[in-house]
Parts: sequence; C-alpha cells; structure tokens
Amino acid sequence: MPMTLKNLLGLSLDAVAPDKAHIGKLLAAAGRNIADAKLQGLSTENRFDAAYKAIMQLAMVALNANGYRTMTSKPGHHQTAIQTLPTSVGLAPAKVMVLDALRKQRNLSDYSGDLVPDAAAAECLASASELLTHVRAWLAANRPDLL
Amino acid sequence: MHQSLPSLLFPEYRRRVLGLLLLRPDEALHGREIARRTGLPAGTITRELTKLAEVGLLKRTKRGNQQVYSADTTGPIFTELASILRKTSGLADVLVQALAPAAPKLRLAFVFGSVARGQETGGSDVDVMLIGDLGFREAVELLHPCQATLGREVNPKLFSASEFTDKAATEPFLIDVLAKPKIFLIGNAHDLEELVGA
Repeated sequence: MPMTLKNLLGLSLDAVAPDKAHIGKLLAAAGRNIADAKLQGLSTENRFDAAYKAIMQLAMVALNANGYRTMTSKPGHHQTAIQTLPTSVGLAPAKVMVLDALRKQRNLSDYSGDLVPDAAAAECLASASELLTHVRAWLAANRPDLL
Repeated sequence: MHQSLPSLLFPEYRRRVLGLLLLRPDEALHGREIARRTGLPAGTITRELTKLAEVGLLKRTKRGNQQVYSADTTGPIFTELASILRKTSGLADVLVQALAPAAPKLRLAFVFGSVARGQETGGSDVDVMLIGDLGFREAVELLHPCQATLGREVNPKLFSASEFTDKAATEPFLIDVLAKPKIFLIGNAHDLEELVGA
C-alpha cells in the first residue's frame, strides 16, 4: 500500500513527518468549514466552497498521517489529494469518483463563473461530513497516536 | 466557419444511418423504420442503405417479405468505425443510454458548451445539464462510465426544476446556456421554453 504513494514522491508528493499538532489543526479547521457549509444564510457557492475546503483539509490529514504532502508547486495538487484517498485512508473508489466530480464543479465555478446548483452544494456537504467520519475512524484504527 | 468533426468525416445521411445501426448492432431494422428514427426521407435512405450494404458496412437480410438492415459486425473496420461514431455523433446516444435509469426523474437533459456548439477540441469536457429530482451522487454514478466510452470528461450540472425556473432569467450563467446551442437528450427545446417561462 505505501508503495503507491512512494511512487508519487517527487512527482506530485513530498515526504514529511506525520505531525499530531498539524493534524489536530486541520481536523478542527475541517470541522469549522463543515459547520459553515450548513449556514443557510450563505450563498450556495460559499456553502459549496466551505465544504470543499473541508474535503481538501481532510485529504491533507490523510496524506500527512502517511508521511506525505502534496507538492503545491505542481499543477493538479487537488486532484492528487483526492485520488490518493483510497491508498492513504482506504476510501472506496465510488466515493472518490464523487469527490473528483465535486473538484471539477469547483474549477468550473471558480474559473468560468458557472453557477453552483443546490444539489452540488448539498452533495459537497454530505461528502465532506462522511470524509471527516472516515478519516477520524481511520486514524483511530491505524494511527491513534496522531489523534 | 467551423465545421464539426463528424460532419467533416461523413455526409449527414450516412452519419445518421451508421450512427443508428452501428451503435445498436443487435437491431435489424426495415428502411422505413430507419427513416423514421433518423428523421430522413425514406426514398433517399434506400439508396444510402444499398451502398452501405454493398461495401459491407451493413448486412441485408430477409425477415418475412421485408428487407432489414443491421451492422455487419464481422466487417474489418466495424469496431473502429463504431468507436469513432460513439465518440462523435453517437455522443448523445451514449449519454441518453447512460441516463435511461434516471429518465423518470428528469424533466430535461441536454449537452451545452463547446461540444454542443461543435467547437470541441481534444481536451474539451462534455457539459451536461440535468433538470429534475436527481441526487448529484446518482448523476455522477450514471455518467461516470461514459467518460471511458467517449474519451472525454463528463461534467453534470444538476438543477431542480424550480431552481432552474427561478434563476433562468437572472443568472448570467443560465442566460448564456439558454442562448447557445444544445443537444437535447431528454425533452426538447419546447419543454425548455415551457420550463423557463413557467
């Protein structure tokens, strides 16, 4: 399993030491973003963005716990963070497929001004909440020292 | 004037006939049925079918006292030609089939963006507008397998009917989509007008 992430070293991933404090900060930030994504006073766009941010922070937790981080100097680091989730924390490919579709929705709204539909914002929140549960459970089972 | 890739490769009638039969290799159809399903005049289609059968792209068989035509799947270029059609003019077909399980929940579905305008490049995504009561996750699961078939990324844009109606007149994104060419998958231009005007 770690072989796959190792193969991406220098291509899209850097090696780092797993860091409990770093993980603690990211988990707290993801929790705040998920709470914000539920605020009905915000626009659909901003609720989507908050939930998407949580997804990214959780993917960073997943990589850090395995001793990696994405190389932000390389294009496509969001894609790398999402697509390594099956290897980093054993996320089901069907869930990764949805997360990747959300990533594309975000690109289209950020760079082309596409409207974010309610259904996309609702799914982004549901996916972020599920990922938080999944990552916490993975840490508890595999790296309780980092929680 | 930009010409779309499929129309540059094949004359219109040929493209529609081959698109119909090669993408449904299990179906053998009578000339009149082919004319109806492709929207082409029955007289012209007979000549087209004869030519395509002569070169071995189609198979002509007798069913009762009728001549029926089907794809000749044993032909040397059947696989390649079907693949080209699937990625070009057969694109709508592939999407319609993928969306079929969710059709009762969808008021409308259409392709918009560069593919609908016939201005797609190698890296262009297929933008698909879905209007109805479908979950985003369900839409992604239905359309995801099409990406491998079409060799392009497929991006669903999913709105409920009321959300679409509310925003159609004021949101610049939707105004732009409404003003530009579309390839309808479920419903038609009239249904869309009705929804926007509702």
